Amino acid sequence: MRRLPTAIARLKALLAERRANREFDAELQEHLRLLAQRFEQRGMSRTEAADAARRQFGNAALVQQRQREARTFLAPGELWRDARFGARMLCKHPGSTAAVVIALALGIGMNACVFTFVNTLLLRPPAKVKSPGELRELWERSAHASGLGQHLPLSYPDYVYFRDHARSFSGLLAFDGDSEAVLWNRSGQGDVVRAEFVSGNFFTVAGVDIPLGRAFTPQDDQPGNPQPLVILNNAFWRARLAADPAIVGKTMMLNGTNFTVVGVAPPGFAGFVAAEVPDFWTPLSMAERVLHDPGRMSSRSSYWLLSEGRLAPGANTRSALAEANVLAREIETAHPDTNKDLGAAIFSSGPLPGPARTYVVAFTGLVMIVFSLVLVIACANAAGLTMVKASGRAREMAIRSALGAGRGRLVRQLTVESVLLALLAGVAAIAIAAGASRALLKLVPANLPITIDLHLDLRVLLFTFAVTLLTGIAFGALPALRGTRIDPAHVLKEELQAGGYRGSRLRAVLMTGQVAVCTLLLFGAALCVHSLLNANSINPGFEIHNIATAELDPGSLGYSDEKVNAFYRDLTARLRSHPGIASVSFVNHLPLDASREETGAILPGSTLPEDLALHVDVFRVAPEYFETMGIPMLRGRDFTQAEFDRNADLIVINDTMAAKLWPGRDPIGQRVRLGHAKAASEVIGVVRTGKYRTLGEQPVPALYRLTMPAQRVIVVRTLAQPGAALDWIRHETQAVDRNMAATQLQTVADFMSFPLFPARTTGLLLGAAGILALILTWIGLFGVISYAVSQRTREIGVRMALGARRADVLRLVMRQGLVVTAIGLGLGIAAALAASRLISSLLYGIRPDDPATVASVSIGLVAAALLACYLPARRAMRVDPMAALRYE
Amino acid sequence: MVDRKSEVLQGTLDLMVLKTLYALGPLHGFGIARRIEQLSEDVLQLNEGTVYTSLLRLQQQGWIKSAWGASENNRKARFYSITRQGLKQLEREEENWERFAGIVDRVLRLERQG
Repeated sequence: MRRLPTAIARLKALLAERRANREFDAELQEHLRLLAQRFEQRGMSRTEAADAARRQFGNAALVQQRQREARTFLAPGELWRDARFGARMLCKHPGSTAAVVIALALGIGMNACVFTFVNTLLLRPPAKVKSPGELRELWERSAHASGLGQHLPLSYPDYVYFRDHARSFSGLLAFDGDSEAVLWNRSGQGDVVRAEFVSGNFFTVAGVDIPLGRAFTPQDDQPGNPQPLVILNNAFWRARLAADPAIVGKTMMLNGTNFTVVGVAPPGFAGFVAAEVPDFWTPLSMAERVLHDPGRMSSRSSYWLLSEGRLAPGANTRSALAEANVLAREIETAHPDTNKDLGAAIFSSGPLPGPARTYVVAFTGLVMIVFSLVLVIACANAAGLTMVKASGRAREMAIRSALGAGRGRLVRQLTVESVLLALLAGVAAIAIAAGASRALLKLVPANLPITIDLHLDLRVLLFTFAVTLLTGIAFGALPALRGTRIDPAHVLKEELQAGGYRGSRLRAVLMTGQVAVCTLLLFGAALCVHSLLNANSINPGFEIHNIATAELDPGSLGYSDEKVNAFYRDLTARLRSHPGIASVSFVNHLPLDASREETGAILPGSTLPEDLALHVDVFRVAPEYFETMGIPMLRGRDFTQAEFDRNADLIVINDTMAAKLWPGRDPIGQRVRLGHAKAASEVIGVVRTGKYRTLGEQPVPALYRLTMPAQRVIVVRTLAQPGAALDWIRHETQAVDRNMAATQLQTVADFMSFPLFPARTTGLLLGAAGILALILTWIGLFGVISYAVSQRTREIGVRMALGARRADVLRLVMRQGLVVTAIGLGLGIAAALAASRLISSLLYGIRPDDPATVASVSIGLVAAALLACYLPARRAMRVDPMAALRYE
Repeated sequence: MVDRKSEVLQGTLDLMVLKTLYALGPLHGFGIARRIEQLSEDVLQLNEGTVYTSLLRLQQQGWIKSAWGASENNRKARFYSITRQGLKQLEREEENWERFAGIVDRVLRLERQG
């Protein structure tokens, strides 16, 4: 308990430093005066007495110094002096200072960049929401599934039950997790905007004040009496409606319905999910009409609502979960057909839906570890360099210590210098982080409706500052502690070669560690880049070039089937007449996109139970689909227009499905029963198997059938570059129907950024980390070996004078670097093999312990090390023995 | 004057200062130095500056505290006094010292054997 009073005494003293100094001096002077007075009384002369008094008192200056040191743990004045001196020292070596600053800036910057994503996706609370810490996400949890499929959003009836019965929440709001694309008919011109359906209590439970107009009320959201009302996103209102101050009360035609604007949300508020930025909000009860999906509000098997509850006073996550589970069981008892084994789950409220967070945490965690390792290498570099400089400054340190500077004083001086370096790097790092995160965002495929607002907020700045400070202390403390452990007499007398044996051993350990970490990162980089190349060269089963696509949904305007068909017929005819277009077709969704449809296929007459049916991916297509997409037809034929018009019960299958159901036989003309259908469908063609869900998948059985929904993807094969076809699609769509708008206009080549997204992201990030690691390690090796050579110039001169040949010198110098490299390489590969299993799920067509990768990384690293050692070694060979000896 | 003065044993000065403050109540640095000089009958060679180093140490440990007051001849002076913690520390130190002195005493009494 003695520490606290000590600390308090120090703190007090710190605040009153100057006064204390003055008072203490006065106290000592008074003491001396009294002593002298006594001596005078004993008969000494005045000067004798003063001398005697000083003798008896001893070293007054030393006592004063002690008193000051005892109180100045980190006196601001001295810190400032250290900083100024440090800055002068850094300016003295602009080259090495720049090298260290750049290395550290890259290390810190990449970490800050990753943290920017972590912050946006995991940490930042939603803007404008009152006390977001009180909010909890409510999910349903299936006892059977695992992984992402385990947690389900709520159906509307389940949400209502929870909302009306949960006492742990003072309010429970719900919203449509995926915002919906909606056609906005603006004076006869169709435009695509994004709608988010929200419960009537959405804004009140969230505590979001509506500055213009009013919030929704529960009365606005009665399933029996849906109100066509919208609240606009502030950004949308400014950008698209010129911030019309009289907007409240006006109407907007959305998907064929007139909506009344009741309010404009506060600036900055964009809902709860980070990547979703809706243009407006409308009551949940409007979903059926807007989406032309009758029955959605009453279905218990339509899981579409994300729900957030505000904890009631006294409630906590655990009590809320317990209650929600009880309520879930009540629903299960009442509706065993839909809610069997559905429990509840509670997550804290966050920018991403709770169940998805684990995966983001895992991925960003991995990336963060990778870039922290890069930072560690940068730190080791900086430490090595500082140490080299510190040993070069051994004389300076010796002199200062001989003049009475305490060791703590010297350590502080050196640490201040390295923190200064790190701070310089930190400033550059923020610029790097801003640039890198913007570049990374470009990787996000256009067909993900994601808008990530990645601004560098205070949290990111604080994080960067903390990392910077830590970095500075980490790479500064070690050399500082070592560099100041000197015996001044020894150094000054002996003209000691700075950086003696002890120093070189520590540097060797640092270098070994650097090489090991670099090996680890290079290995990961090699795997991911190799995997990216593999992924790029994977044949998706369709052609990538010269195809343009777009999404169309005339159904959203509430058109009848005839009107939908007429629209597509006209559009097809118009596009086909373009001279640059080879063929036009439709599919309900592209392969490798996020959507998919699956059915069970079973041979007619088979006695197998239904759940043993072959699971088949289903695509609904129009004629000419295979031709347009460049999918090779192996046997049989395509659908005809006549078959398409009457929705004939015919299918085209892929060869995987053919081999599974009719091994060794001709599948053409065979029949298969799909799902619960009574009649069996007839096979008319076989196409080559492609990739349907992910690029890395094993061959999946798939079939193509007719009966297309109103929402389709148009695919257009062009004769030349497909870019122009995007404009044609846009124009012809509007020409056929002014209310329609094509969305997701993109070439298939651009579309491929979606399935390639994981491979590209990991390839780019880990590749960058690996290259950075290699460059930094190379600089580190080169610097340390060069320094060692310059320190041993005299020794080398002596050796050569005594008859050592150039080859011997070369061997001498190279050996040091290569031993370090070999040990580091061994350690690194062992670590890499152990760690590579972590990323195995991200790899395409390459094993995590791929021997070729091990070999190439080893060879590459050894080659780099050889070069790093050879350059200084060559200089060592050229040492003129006479010059080296004469120098002495 | 005695020719050979004894060096103050390392660490014992703190104990003497504490005990002085305990016995005589609040004192200024000069007073403490005089008191120790008087008790040691001029045998101890005391660099009086070290008294202040000791006072600093003790103050940092929280064993003594100081306050400004007026000295006998009415000059402004800093008076040091012992704290509750200081009293406890003094007790501990005295015990230690007695044990130590006892051991030294016993060792010095050893007679030559055989």
